[in-house]
Amino acid sequence: MSGDSAASAPGRSGGGAGRPVGRKAAGSRWGRFLESGLLQGGVQGSPVLRLFMRWVRRPLLPVMRLWRRNIQLKVVVTTLLMSLGVVLLLGFVVIGQVRNGLLDAKVKASQSQATGGFAVAKQRADEAASRTADDPTAVDGRSSQNVIQWMSDLVSSLSSGGQGAFDVVTLPAGDNSGSGRGPRASGGVDPNESVPQDLRARVNSSTTAAQSYTRIIYSGDKDSQPALVIGKEVNDPNGDPYQLYYLFPLTQEEKSLSLVKGTLATAGLFVVVLLGAIAWLVVRQVVTPVRMAAGIAERLSAGRLQERMKVTGEDDIARLGEAFNKMAQNLQLKIQQLEDLSRMQRRFVSDVSHELRTPLTTVRMAADVIHEAREDFDPVTARSAELLADQLDRFESLLSDLLEISRFDAGAAALEAEPIDLREVVRRVVSGAEPLAERKGTHIRIVGDQQPVVAEADARRVERVLRNLVVNAVEHGEGKDVVVKLAAAGGAVAVAVRDYGVGLKPGEATRVFNRFWRADPARARTTGGTGLGLSIALEDARLHGGWLQAWGEPGGGSQFRLTLPRTADEPLRGSPIPLEPKDSRRNRGLNDAGLPRGGGEKTATVPAQPTGGGQVPTRDPIAPRLAAVAPTADPTALPGNGARVVPRPAGPARRQGEQPVVEAARSTAPSGAADAGPEESNDQGEAVRGR
Amino acid sequence: MVADREGGARRTPGRAVAYVACGVVLLAGCASMPDSGDLRGVESTPRQDTQVRVFPMPPREDAPPSEIVQGFLEALTSDDPHYATAKQYLTATAAKAWQPELSTTVLADGPDTQADSAGTREDGLDFSFTLTGTKVALVDAQQSYTPTEGSYSRQVHLTRDEKSRQWRIDGLPQGVVMGQSDFQRNYMSVNKYYFALDSAVGASSQPAAVADPVYVRRRVDPMTQMVRSLLNGPTTWLGPAVRSSFPSGTALQKGVSELTPDDQNRLTVPLNDKAARIGPAKCNEMAAQLLFTLQNLTPAVDEVELQAGGAQLCVLNEDGAAAVAARGSARHADYLYFVDGENRLVRIPAGSRSAVAEPVPGELGEGVRALRSAAVSRDEHTAAGVALDGKALYVGSLASGGSLGEPVVRSTGRTEKDRLTTPSWDARGDLWVADRNPDDPRLLVLPEGKEEPLTVQIPRLDGRIQSVRVAADGVRIALIVEKDGKQSLQVGRIDRGEKDRVTGKPQVSVLDLRSAAPQLEEVTTMSWAGDGRLVVVGREEGGVQQMRYVQVDGSMPEVPAPDALTGVKEIAASEDDRLPLVAYSVDGIVRLPDGTQWQTVVKDGSAPVYPG
Repeated sequence: MSGDSAASAPGRSGGGAGRPVGRKAAGSRWGRFLESGLLQGGVQGSPVLRLFMRWVRRPLLPVMRLWRRNIQLKVVVTTLLMSLGVVLLLGFVVIGQVRNGLLDAKVKASQSQATGGFAVAKQRADEAASRTADDPTAVDGRSSQNVIQWMSDLVSSLSSGGQGAFDVVTLPAGDNSGSGRGPRASGGVDPNESVPQDLRARVNSSTTAAQSYTRIIYSGDKDSQPALVIGKEVNDPNGDPYQLYYLFPLTQEEKSLSLVKGTLATAGLFVVVLLGAIAWLVVRQVVTPVRMAAGIAERLSAGRLQERMKVTGEDDIARLGEAFNKMAQNLQLKIQQLEDLSRMQRRFVSDVSHELRTPLTTVRMAADVIHEAREDFDPVTARSAELLADQLDRFESLLSDLLEISRFDAGAAALEAEPIDLREVVRRVVSGAEPLAERKGTHIRIVGDQQPVVAEADARRVERVLRNLVVNAVEHGEGKDVVVKLAAAGGAVAVAVRDYGVGLKPGEATRVFNRFWRADPARARTTGGTGLGLSIALEDARLHGGWLQAWGEPGGGSQFRLTLPRTADEPLRGSPIPLEPKDSRRNRGLNDAGLPRGGGEKTATVPAQPTGGGQVPTRDPIAPRLAAVAPTADPTALPGNGARVVPRPAGPARRQGEQPVVEAARSTAPSGAADAGPEESNDQGEAVRGR
Repeated sequence: MVADREGGARRTPGRAVAYVACGVVLLAGCASMPDSGDLRGVESTPRQDTQVRVFPMPPREDAPPSEIVQGFLEALTSDDPHYATAKQYLTATAAKAWQPELSTTVLADGPDTQADSAGTREDGLDFSFTLTGTKVALVDAQQSYTPTEGSYSRQVHLTRDEKSRQWRIDGLPQGVVMGQSDFQRNYMSVNKYYFALDSAVGASSQPAAVADPVYVRRRVDPMTQMVRSLLNGPTTWLGPAVRSSFPSGTALQKGVSELTPDDQNRLTVPLNDKAARIGPAKCNEMAAQLLFTLQNLTPAVDEVELQAGGAQLCVLNEDGAAAVAARGSARHADYLYFVDGENRLVRIPAGSRSAVAEPVPGELGEGVRALRSAAVSRDEHTAAGVALDGKALYVGSLASGGSLGEPVVRSTGRTEKDRLTTPSWDARGDLWVADRNPDDPRLLVLPEGKEEPLTVQIPRLDGRIQSVRVAADGVRIALIVEKDGKQSLQVGRIDRGEKDRVTGKPQVSVLDLRSAAPQLEEVTTMSWAGDGRLVVVGREEGGVQQMRYVQVDGSMPEVPAPDALTGVKEIAASEDDRLPLVAYSVDGIVRLPDGTQWQTVVKDGSAPVYPG
């Protein structure tokens, strides 16, 4: 339980650091997508066009953002578009049908009228012809009947029946220059322009009537108008053919049609607006509670657990609100309970530690007396006395670690930051770990201490962290070298402790920081430290606003990195040292020893603890191969740091080349440590305690 | 937001019901045709022009001679302003020599073409046709219409151009020729106005406007044609009796081709320098002439501005024109007069339907003398009555108490039909009456209605005057002349010559009689019905009695004849066309208001007259 509450803090801070970066990356990717979609699709290369596209796109961006975010807008716009489409379709269909209906009626009426007119014209011609035939004065065929006046009279009388309903036109048969007969037209119609040529050709070639649509052109100021024209070839009294046309203006039909059009357009506009308004209202009724719920949920997730939705009525939205509120209430209750429980447990641990301390002192004193006098005891009793003293030491350190942890949990830990040079701290720690290293046959090297590495930090806590890391590295280093590297860049300082021991199995890099976590549960508690060392170190780093992170690969050793801001309160944005060292197997591109590539490495942005024990079978000569590594930039390193980070491996690689010799010489040394058990540093600031 | 909605929900029921009710009422109002509403004027839409137009065609390539002649005759009936298309049918020399404006010959049925037997030349390069037909009328170069009769026969000669091998007309009569219906389609009669010589209407010094009808082509810018025609002066027939206020030689300024009124119906007429130096009074007269002339044309002209040499001379509108000169048609008669069953002169308000006739003041209305017919002066102050037996003419004032006195004219005819006709007043106040005595037929005029009667000289009168009506302008007189049992309607020009040196009496004669209705064989009665129009009751040869309008020049006016009425004995019309036509028929006195049928005014009465 206490682990949960402790984990929530790094999770949040880690999330806080990681999320904006991720969102920014996503945003830029979206931007790139947009750019590629909008620009590279049609416009390739041309900077002018690109500028133009940008200029066009700029005012659109807010609109697009609004479109992405606003469901109400989406629904209303979609509704408007769809209803507009339906209205347009409906309009086309209706107008088409009305037009056809009007035309049908007009065409039928016009045809009967025109047919009657043609019959009248024929009858008149016959009458005139017979009158001439009866007229004894007329000379035989050579006398051309006087058709000029007859035809004008015919057009006049035919058109007088119309009075605006139709106009009559006569045209000579054949083309325009035919037979000396001029066109005649009533009502100011321009005959040559108004009668279409193909209708003339058709009337010329056939004896039946033909019709067509045309536009009447008037010779005066009158506007032209659409019309139906029906024509037929008729004979005049002399038997010469001429063309007689009836032109029916479609003015009334057009007026009716435009009335229908106007009505439909108005109705359609109203329908579209109405549908849009309905959609807006409906969506608003749904979206408003959803937005409210979203706001409340955001506030809940921000920790304001007492926030509740307003619920009115009994509809679905109200049910949603009620369920939401119930959920929030239950959550609040549970969280409250959990918090209470965890607080109680922490207090319990702290109380227990305190309460145990007083009797422990007494027991300690008594045990010391017994321990002093052990030489007087028989061997079995003496051995018991020794065991008692050992376990009391352990108990005591465990108790003090517990107290420290409970102090962190209670938030009672205070940071006393002052500018310190980390090199001094590191030297102090290394020299403190020297005896243990000698016992293990390990050589501890310090890299990057040419220049001062100054940071605002609590020297005691930093020293405790580093001691923990160094001692761990020595203990799990299996006698190989331990490298302590220092670096400072970009407002951050970092200390990395690298060992070449058994390393970490996948997933362990995060788990190493768990309380009482052990790499091998089979190992007795008796052999290790308290199991709280890395937890405390993590809390210390966090207190500084820094990071403590672990990296390891099975058989490839591990690296622990402490990153601290150069000045307190300054948020960290990166670390001067990459978490994964350049001489890792992956970076070297090796997959030796049959290990599946990529399976072994594990980097963690969440702090992890290196394994307490190097239980993985050792694979010795790793280091020589490190020399071949082509250094690459580490993604976790600060961008500005790459230049400083990259050239370095030349040095360590060369030095690491010597390592096998050293390690080979000391390879037997750690074997004795199995019994002795690895020593772990305590948080008390005490020196490594041997057994 | 939620609270708002709740509030709205609470307010809703009352208001919703009100809104719904309003909506239902509105919808109900919109969904039915209105049965009441505001008043609004109706703008009259001009009747659509259904006139047939002929579009002239240029001659076809290699057209035969007959087609050339047909195409030419057809082009003459078109609206081509200067007969440009028709001239394409002519050879170049013939086109130059041909003057279409010189005359227009109207044939009854249009010209028939007859190919002459053969050309005169041996080479077959010429051809000739003879145009034949029956003449109806002739419009001369002055555009005045003269009814004619007889047959028409003119030769048209064609030659074939040696180079182009095309037939063209090289010999043709001057002027144009067309059928009667084409003539009516293409031409219209318009009155141009001049002022009567030395005539002063009544007490005022207003000159009387005299209508001079001419024929212009209907669709070839009639307004400009009329202005030019007016400037050219009166026609020959009317010329001696009228004057034009335009100085001689006045014409439109050079370069002016078309005159159209502007948006305010104002016509600007630029004249040449001859008119530059005239006074405002003269200028107003000129403008009045123009206004009177153009008033019946479309587009309407309400105002005329005269310019000369670029400077404005004067502007005159219709009211101003009415003050400048008097027109018969502008005078509105107050009463319709007739002789009732007791042979008294009675009157009813003109244009009213009231059948209650009141006797006129004075002795004429008191029945002191039994009257047969009467005439009332145009100012309606004086009246003349013919005694029942037709032997005597009395003149009396229409003021109450006025006495008749002795007859001013006596007739000695043997029968009633051989005695005095119905008298007639002109606008100057002169009284005209004819004595039908076969032994001594004479036309008398009594200046001022009271002086000694003068015998009017009518040279070339062939027959006996049966009826007399003087036009309001005092320049024209309409007579029904009987000869051998046939009557004809003659219109003559009154010529007031110098005073006779011997007697000191003014010499009055009626000159240049011409037939206004040559088709009529029998004319019963007639009356002036407009400035240049008469209404006539008569009978055509072989026809029945009918009533029709005729133009003074003998042409047929465009207005339709009034509804038929049987047994018309006398007719009275006013020159003001707002007053209904009144007739004395077998049904008594009847009248014809606009747009309706004949109505009876008085059963028992006769001799209806409007003043004049």
